[in-house]
Amino acid sequence: MIVMRAMDKTMTCAEFQDALPELFESQSDLSGHDHLKTCENCAALVRDLNYIASQARLLLPIHDPSPAVWDHIQQAIRQDKPEPPAPAARK
Amino acid sequence: MSLTAQKITDSRAPGARSHGTIAKERFVLMAGPTQPRPANQHLRRNPPIAGEQEAIDRAREGDGRAFETLYAMHKRRVYSLCLRMLGNVAEAEDLTQEAFLQLYRKIGTFRGDSAFSTWLHRLAVNVVLMHLRRKGLPQVSLEETLEPSQDDGPRKDIGARDLTLSGSIDRVTLERAIENLPPGYRLVFVLHDVEGYEHNEIAEMLDCSIGNSKSQLHKARMKLRDLLRTGQRKEQIA
Repeated sequence: MIVMRAMDKTMTCAEFQDALPELFESQSDLSGHDHLKTCENCAALVRDLNYIASQARLLLPIHDPSPAVWDHIQQAIRQDKPEPPAPAARK
Repeated sequence: MSLTAQKITDSRAPGARSHGTIAKERFVLMAGPTQPRPANQHLRRNPPIAGEQEAIDRAREGDGRAFETLYAMHKRRVYSLCLRMLGNVAEAEDLTQEAFLQLYRKIGTFRGDSAFSTWLHRLAVNVVLMHLRRKGLPQVSLEETLEPSQDDGPRKDIGARDLTLSGSIDRVTLERAIENLPPGYRLVFVLHDVEGYEHNEIAEMLDCSIGNSKSQLHKARMKLRDLLRTGQRKEQIA
């Protein structure tokens, strides 16, 4: 951990951004990362990416399919139904 | 006898929605603190629905009314999933139809190990992925997006402080930006950030490594940031 902290301080922006995918997965809050304390550009980047992810989670299903979708499902199901058995022949 | 799904691409009912329609709906999303992904993400997105279990039980016995009830309960979620993954209304409707036809055929195999909605949505995801594979288009080629063009990759030198995304990105703007993502990015972004699947699940679905899924997601978010910032700049100029 001590080694990691020492590395954080000397990280360039390129190194930090290369590490970002893993950092996002391993830490829910990157605000305390040493590189971000001294780099406003990378801090803005992290804020934006967090913002995008948080807004995506708020997207709810709002689109409805057209009524034709159900019509065609019904039609296909009707075709799929087995024919009713023929009445038994009289003896 | 097998079900034959009739294509509906060219027979859309009058009044069917298009992406143009949603432009009129302006819902401003509230900016809030970033929350860590909850452990019960799927439960949050797939809460139990009153009357669902009874409808499942009756649909398994062949009750058409019950199947219609299940369709009414889940059509919006399944269609929205298809639409976001595909970015195309006609294909999304075709695959919504196909997903529910598969549900009709397979509902007897639902064992209740997971929530019904989770099971159905996974079925719908598989229908979309099968469709993309059949088309043989690069939508499912992760290589395409693992080595994106220079424009798509992270910018190592961001330069002077530029616009940052404010707390006022509305839903329509975000939906449009997602539509404009390259297909491979869009798939992973929708599955992870919108639908709440974990990287190991996405890796299994897309037949790629977990590392690839993480990398794709990061690049998708970076691309979205570019798209959203570009939109903001244009609005400011206008």
